[in-house]
Amino acid sequence: MKQVVGLIVVAFSLALLAAPAFASSGSHGDEHGAPKDKAGASSEFILHHVADDTEFEFELPFVHLPPIHLAELFGKEPGQGLYLERVPGACSAPVDASQQAFESLFRFVNGCWDLRPTKAVLSMWIAMGLLALVLFLGRGRDQNGVPKGLFANVVESLVLFVRDEIAVANIGKDEGPRYTPYLVTVFFFVASMNYLGLIPGFYTATSALGVTIALSVATFVMTQLAGIRSAGVVGFFAHLFGDVPVWMKPLMFVVEFLGLFTKPFALLVRLFANMLAGHMVLFFILSLIFVVHLGASVVSVPLATGLYLLELFVAILQAYIFTLLTALFIGQGVALGHHHHGDDHAH
Amino acid sequence: MNSLVLASSFTDVKPGLIIWTWITFIVVLFILRRVAWGPLLKSVEDREKNIVNAIESAKRERAEAEKLLAEQKTAVAQARQEAAEQVRKTQADLEKFREELMAKARKEADDLKAEARRTIDEERVRAVADVRAEAVKLSLQVAEKLLSERLDDAKHQQLASQFVTDLAKRPSA
Repeated sequence: MKQVVGLIVVAFSLALLAAPAFASSGSHGDEHGAPKDKAGASSEFILHHVADDTEFEFELPFVHLPPIHLAELFGKEPGQGLYLERVPGACSAPVDASQQAFESLFRFVNGCWDLRPTKAVLSMWIAMGLLALVLFLGRGRDQNGVPKGLFANVVESLVLFVRDEIAVANIGKDEGPRYTPYLVTVFFFVASMNYLGLIPGFYTATSALGVTIALSVATFVMTQLAGIRSAGVVGFFAHLFGDVPVWMKPLMFVVEFLGLFTKPFALLVRLFANMLAGHMVLFFILSLIFVVHLGASVVSVPLATGLYLLELFVAILQAYIFTLLTALFIGQGVALGHHHHGDDHAH
Repeated sequence: MNSLVLASSFTDVKPGLIIWTWITFIVVLFILRRVAWGPLLKSVEDREKNIVNAIESAKRERAEAEKLLAEQKTAVAQARQEAAEQVRKTQADLEKFREELMAKARKEADDLKAEARRTIDEERVRAVADVRAEAVKLSLQVAEKLLSERLDDAKHQQLASQFVTDLAKRPSA
């Protein structure tokens, strides 16, 4: 009975969230002055919601908080504040169509260093603030060091889960504890951003490609450092050639070298795609109410509620997977030093 | 703004975002490692160590208790055995004492018996001698009367004694 009531509450709050949010998307269309069809307006709203930007709008029902104009705070025009322009005109120069998908990257390479914090960065900071709050609330311990209270117990059980089931299980009993603080940080970092995104009105920082790239690069660096630490520089590079006949070694090098990058690449795409897709599908289902008919809410609200609950699970699952794979890669790096060219290379 | 342009806006990799993520992540990593994970993991490790120690000491104490119990059991068994031994020994002593007493008593009784017998013998000998003397006297008187003759006392007495001694030597006397 309690669960049913909970589901209804979640459903209604989602419906309430969706209504003004989509209503505000209509005003977006007005701003541009052109009348838009409902489907176009909805998709524009959704894409606007899931895309990173320098505007932060709290898309909340009833509460109308003023949007945060990050561009105005950190530099509106190229050359102002953190909107650095190393090469004059690099930020305003037109980009050709082939570069459009990775516009910021090409502009950065050409000398336009846009370092202004965006919606994703702001969400990340809010998530870190909430994480700090949770950790602060979970600081209670009795004189035996046993956690006291809900937060303390949840935090400790998660930390111990990461230590025992992720770090020690994949890296080993000797080296596992060394990497535990890093892995615990990754886990809580990702999980808190994922969960913040599930609070209506906030943005999921992990659905921005830049965030997952940064985390993957951190994992990549950590993995290589673990390998070099364990096997030494010579042993680390010797490993890249594998345990094969001499004539195959160049081929092996290419395979192993690519393998170094494909692993974190899969990691970054998995987290990014999961978080982005979940939110988009949720919005698309709710947008049926506005695009097709109000009666679609009979189907789309329960469906979106179910999806939301799934997302609650996916949020921690993706944090777990990211941390687990990071630990696995570090464990492989650590294993380099323990059995040179053994037959149980885990790839 | 068409949808395609918007769609490209979330595949767009922002170097600024990457840099901010690194900065945030590193700051969070160092702060949390120092403020949160370090104390938490240390507390957990201490607790685990305490538990391991408690189990170890409990095991040790148990072993010790078992050892003590075994020792106690041995001691009790030994004490019981000793007590039994003591009882047996006491009984043996008693028995011996009793036997000694009995022997002594018997000996005393025998002694007394022997003494009595000797006294009786002596008395008997004396009585016999008395009787003999009386008899001699009587027979003398009888003979005196019969013969109405006064005989030399000493000669006849000797004669009579001779007679009585001879009488005594005969087995029927």
